Amino acid sequence: MKLSMLKPGERGKIIKIGTLGLSKRRLMDMGVLPGEIITIEKVAPLGDPIEISVKNYFLSIRKKEAMEIDVEVLR
Amino acid sequence: MSNKKEILVAVAGNPNTGKSTLINTIAGTKLHVGNWPGVTVEKKEAYFEYKGIKIKLIDLPGTYSLSPYTQEELIARNYLIHNKPDVIINVVDATNLERNLYLTIQLLELGIPVVVALNIYDEAMKKGYKIDVKKFEDLANVKVVPTIATKKEGIKELIETVIDISTRKQLLPEGFFYGKDIDEALKELEISIQKNYPQLFQRFPKKWLLLKILENDETLYKELNLKPENICLEKIKNLEKVYSEDIESTIADIRYSIASRISNQVLSKKDISTIDYTEKIDKIILNRFLGIPIFLLMMWFVFKIAFDVSSPFVDWIDSIISGPLKSWTEYFLTIMNTRGWIISLVTDGIIAGTGFVLVFVPVIGMMMLIITFLESSGYMARAAFVMDRLMNTIGLHGKSFIPMLLGFGCNVPAIYATRILETERDKKLTAMLIPFMSCGARLPVYVVFIGTFFENSPGTILWSLYILGIFMAILLGLILKKSFFKGSSPVFIMELPPYRIPTLRDLYIHTWQKLKHFVIKAGTYILTVSIIVWFLLNLPWGTMDKKDSLLGKFGNAISPVFKPLGFGNWEAASSLITGIMAKEVVIGTMSQIYVKQNKDNENNHKKPDFYQDLKDIGNSFVSAGETAIKNVFSGFGVKSLSSEESEEELMERTPLRLALKSVFTPVAAYAFIVFVLLYWPCVVVGIAIKQEFGTWKMYLLAALLQSMIAWLIAFIVYQGGKIFL
Repeated sequence: MKLSMLKPGERGKIIKIGTLGLSKRRLMDMGVLPGEIITIEKVAPLGDPIEISVKNYFLSIRKKEAMEIDVEVLR
Repeated sequence: MSNKKEILVAVAGNPNTGKSTLINTIAGTKLHVGNWPGVTVEKKEAYFEYKGIKIKLIDLPGTYSLSPYTQEELIARNYLIHNKPDVIINVVDATNLERNLYLTIQLLELGIPVVVALNIYDEAMKKGYKIDVKKFEDLANVKVVPTIATKKEGIKELIETVIDISTRKQLLPEGFFYGKDIDEALKELEISIQKNYPQLFQRFPKKWLLLKILENDETLYKELNLKPENICLEKIKNLEKVYSEDIESTIADIRYSIASRISNQVLSKKDISTIDYTEKIDKIILNRFLGIPIFLLMMWFVFKIAFDVSSPFVDWIDSIISGPLKSWTEYFLTIMNTRGWIISLVTDGIIAGTGFVLVFVPVIGMMMLIITFLESSGYMARAAFVMDRLMNTIGLHGKSFIPMLLGFGCNVPAIYATRILETERDKKLTAMLIPFMSCGARLPVYVVFIGTFFENSPGTILWSLYILGIFMAILLGLILKKSFFKGSSPVFIMELPPYRIPTLRDLYIHTWQKLKHFVIKAGTYILTVSIIVWFLLNLPWGTMDKKDSLLGKFGNAISPVFKPLGFGNWEAASSLITGIMAKEVVIGTMSQIYVKQNKDNENNHKKPDFYQDLKDIGNSFVSAGETAIKNVFSGFGVKSLSSEESEEELMERTPLRLALKSVFTPVAAYAFIVFVLLYWPCVVVGIAIKQEFGTWKMYLLAALLQSMIAWLIAFIVYQGGKIFL
């Protein structure tokens, strides 16, 4: 499942980060790494970007990036 | 310990860790603010003495990592490698230890002693966090000093620790364990470099160099003029097979696991049920339905405060310069028997030019205050979050909205506000589009022309101009996104930091720095331009008819260009030339040209009453304050952008209006104000662009491009209007 498909309040464990080039490195520097658990917090009023929480802080990313992140949904 | 030695201290840390508050607390007004060479990233440094020891402090840009992928990271990294500071102060947010440690680990790879300023310590305590400082020091091999920069706590201890460390050479960080495979690869690499490129170990920190080579760091390879094939491609390929990930990701992952291991051992959380204000506030502010209305309300408020509070003070400064200051100077020069042209040069050139610089002070001051407040409170990131979708359509970052909005008040502070954006590309693209936001200085031109030609539908005409400006910005944005700024699409990976109350000291220091910078640097240029304009208007000295002045001749020469636009006369052309100084000057020049001046007759050289003038200045300052307060509470409209003229102004403008009516047709008049809206951004904007981006080229390019666009649109308006009306 892609991170972008999760709804606010849902949690997922990162399996793989796809081909994002520069953004991938930046995401990893911000702690978005395989194995990490991510919660979807909010979707911006205009539908993009989204707010996630990771490593005990809040981060916003665009859906374009979220589509390249494979997650396993945690219930 | 020798007292002669100077200690070089670099301050590094993640954004939103209170790093700049800490710097302000340590160095305060001793801070020198400039740019890092060739880029728009702010560089702060300070020299000071502590107990006889000289310290040079360099603030590195806030970064999450030292990888070379953002401008800030590259600056921080290059500085650390090439300038080899004696000590690094690493500002760490105590409420978010793990992510902050990721940078700490990279700093330690450089082999420079690190002192961790464990900042925002009070907030961490309130949250029920307990941090074992001693254990932290042992595990990470750093010195740790808890600090609360906002309350000036721990600062003395921090500086003393830095000095202590710098004198004890033996405390050098040990490396971390990166896992069996990586460590083995590093060891082999070390041997092979020792054999083949031994000089590299003299140039670079050893551990860092080895890791970067193994990490396949392109920037380093380029600097060394090497290729992975020469050194360790084999090893990288092997490791990528072992970890089934690219090597960079693997090492990032390892660094994070070291960070989380340290964090887990050092930090214990007591379960106190605290209220998380940030989450509470965000529930409302970023709400799906309320988010946009709240944002718009905030922006209205920002705009109103920035311009309605400052505009009475702008008028106040203006009244002092053009009133008492001018008359005193005139008086003294006259009794000293100075020649007429010198008096005019001093009063109309130099003093008017100084006034021209000073009137920007209230506007830029208020704007800086607000921008700093929005940034350090944490709201700026939310504004970007809400607006990103919209701004992204023209290839911009959500944060760009704020400089663009400020542009409607005045383009100059708006250009300065592009500093809040993250990438060079975003800053440049936003700065290119800002001049299309119709600023307050263009309003007087519209008002005179609309009042003269379009009395029946003033609102519609005025709005059409603002809309046209926005429309042109969108259009140009789309074109530039696909041409000049192609390829480098902006990344939007942005932290939403916790809300925090900014300290007054921070607000004051940032505002003061910007103002000082503006008055000194921009002031010099503006004064020069002002004097040039004076020469254009008054040479050859003694010409009664403005047509014979240099300006008139110049205007006459270029006027054919405006013929297809409906205003191909020297009067309009000359006004447009001086309008480059500031767009409202268009009207000033027009009145000088069209309306016969009888000023000289009433020019009496009576002795000005100093006491009375001083009293007036004081009184008008008080009433400016009152007006500012009244403006804020005056309801929804923005007073300083109101298009209504006072009775007095109406009376004053009547002769000009009659003159205009005989020269312009309504269609030509509309084409003219469209041209004024879009053409050549004023010189002060140019100076702001030069200050921010370090080059006149960008301003020149924008000016030429926008003048061409202005000509084209005015052409369409005039020729189209002639056919249809």
